[in-house]
Amino acid sequence: MLKYLFAKNEDIPPGTTAIFFGFSSIIWFVIGTGIGSFNAAKLAFPDFVTGYEYFAFGKMRQVHVLAVILGWISMAFAMAMTYITPALGNTRLWSEKLGVWNVLIWNVGLSLALTLLWMGISSGREYSDIIWPIDLAIIFGVLFPLGANVWMTIVTRRTQGIYTTNWFFGTGIFMVIIVFLVGNSPEFFNLTGLSEAYMTWWFAHNVLGLWITPVAAAIAYYTVPKVTGNPLYSHRIGHLHFWSVVIFYSTPAAHHLMSAPLPEWLKSFASVEGVLILVPAIAFVSNLLLTMTGKWHMFVENVEIKFTITGVLLAIPLNMQGGFQQTRAINWYIHGTGWIVAHAHLALLGFSTFLEGAAVYYGIQTLLRRKLYSLTLANFHFWFLLIGFCTYWISMTIAGLIQGAGKIYEVPYIDVVIAEHPYMIARWVGGTMVFTGNVVWLYNMWMTARVGTEIPVGRLPHELAYER
Amino acid sequence: MGWRFDAPLVSLTDDAQNKAAKELWARESLGGIKEDNNRLPRPVIWLLALTILTAFLITAPLWGQRPQAAIYQEYVALMDDPQVQSIADPNGKVEYIVNAVKSKGSKYEALQERHPVEWDDLMLIKDQVIELERKGVDLEEYTIIGPWVTLANFEGEKKPDGSTIRKQPHWDKGYTIDVFYVIYFCVAVVIAVKRLPEFSWVPTHAGH
Repeated sequence: MLKYLFAKNEDIPPGTTAIFFGFSSIIWFVIGTGIGSFNAAKLAFPDFVTGYEYFAFGKMRQVHVLAVILGWISMAFAMAMTYITPALGNTRLWSEKLGVWNVLIWNVGLSLALTLLWMGISSGREYSDIIWPIDLAIIFGVLFPLGANVWMTIVTRRTQGIYTTNWFFGTGIFMVIIVFLVGNSPEFFNLTGLSEAYMTWWFAHNVLGLWITPVAAAIAYYTVPKVTGNPLYSHRIGHLHFWSVVIFYSTPAAHHLMSAPLPEWLKSFASVEGVLILVPAIAFVSNLLLTMTGKWHMFVENVEIKFTITGVLLAIPLNMQGGFQQTRAINWYIHGTGWIVAHAHLALLGFSTFLEGAAVYYGIQTLLRRKLYSLTLANFHFWFLLIGFCTYWISMTIAGLIQGAGKIYEVPYIDVVIAEHPYMIARWVGGTMVFTGNVVWLYNMWMTARVGTEIPVGRLPHELAYER
Repeated sequence: MGWRFDAPLVSLTDDAQNKAAKELWARESLGGIKEDNNRLPRPVIWLLALTILTAFLITAPLWGQRPQAAIYQEYVALMDDPQVQSIADPNGKVEYIVNAVKSKGSKYEALQERHPVEWDDLMLIKDQVIELERKGVDLEEYTIIGPWVTLANFEGEKKPDGSTIRKQPHWDKGYTIDVFYVIYFCVAVVIAVKRLPEFSWVPTHAGH
């Protein structure tokens, strides 16, 4: 990497930024899920690693969350953006040099931010835990350079039209900058009380709704038509999806605070909008599944399609849960329980991770022009990820329902802890399977880069998957 | 930007612009990706309509609410009635009370039917309801959770005396804003989509 930092832009091979982002994202995924597995072990076995301040759950929880969001997910997005955006515009990335610096600053900055969190230096607000100087560094040192590269690549494209994926990429990076600027305003302007609570959850909601969800969906809009060779089923439904994300996802933040003393009309407004999150979900899922027409065999045979369609299918329970769990009728029961933890993992580890996984698999093979080192290991990764995730999701959902019952009927806390203990062990087993799968994935991609069979000019990696 | 308004549900774009869009659509390669021009399938349109309807219905406080203490106030008042006391069977006592309240007519009739109780339930809440009546509080702000009568876990607007309303609204300006929001959204998306070539036109993907 160092030789590219000070090289001329035209001397840096196309795709360099994306490859660095791709490997960085996998490494952060291994780190993030490793810490997640460690944290889950502490919940399953209370005597596991006690007596050390820096291994306390309270210090490690947010390190896990932000390593996964800003390390794995966001860097996988950056990888996808820096190779898909130019590909869709029949051009090169606007500046590979800016991209390489972006990778370096992102990795160094995130390491610093997570170290501070680990030391207990935190804003104390969930999801926006990072302190404000680092938030500003993320906005201007990480997100804005990425945005500049994406926007300028779209501006300098060699096509007249802009494909659906690039609408989401260009808008997603713009919106996440706004989310960071506005969502961290309690720290910038020392807001407290309800204002702080509302802005905290506006940030948390919209990091999901205006960054992770639309950008993950954008990747699927590229992967499915590209790998299957089918045309995207409907450009028109793409419009419906895009505008409904922008309109309906940006408004329901108050549904995270249904029992708080916010104005009641704001909660009513947010709750209706919360259900309407199903509108983009229906548009997205129907468009992608209809694009698969005639190519469903690839769901079994092809690694990228297997990952992508699994992610698309997981969008159905994700949005059904998300749409309805925030209504007053249901929220009183599951609020503040493991159900929410399960739902968050359905969004980040289920829906979005499978879509990003496909992008990283496809991108690294395409950019390095090397065939996947081992299809068997890729399938191992897929099944460990899927079974591990499902184990986690189901066990935490059940634990959440137990906690909900305990909360409503005022069951003594220790009795609830005992009742949910088996599910905490299942959570640890599921999380550890995900971590194991990711270690295998890192090995597989590393070996792909080093010894993968070269792909002949004019062929695509997925066309060669079964050829020896 | 050529507009036409003679057939708004078919196309909002004039023929020249439609022709240019079709030519571009067929000619241009976006990194090897092709796009079709299919309409939203009818079942999906119905699903979206159902979603919008559901969004309003399910968020209004029709479903899933715990029973308010107020709906049992009339039941509790009849528990010490000599005629009730003279009935030995607990089920018979409740049946008598329910019929007596129903025959008199109660504004809580629908909620009473939705939240039936047994004699043992009434025995558990009786003293608590009487105590709250003595304090003069609004029993619609109290809910029954198992054996307890507790202040509802609901925080509404402030009353003039500074206390908080504990009753869920059936309608407020949040819903009104939503009605307009959804209408604006639907109109805007229909305009965006009707600016495209009509869905009966199938792109050829020539040159891909």
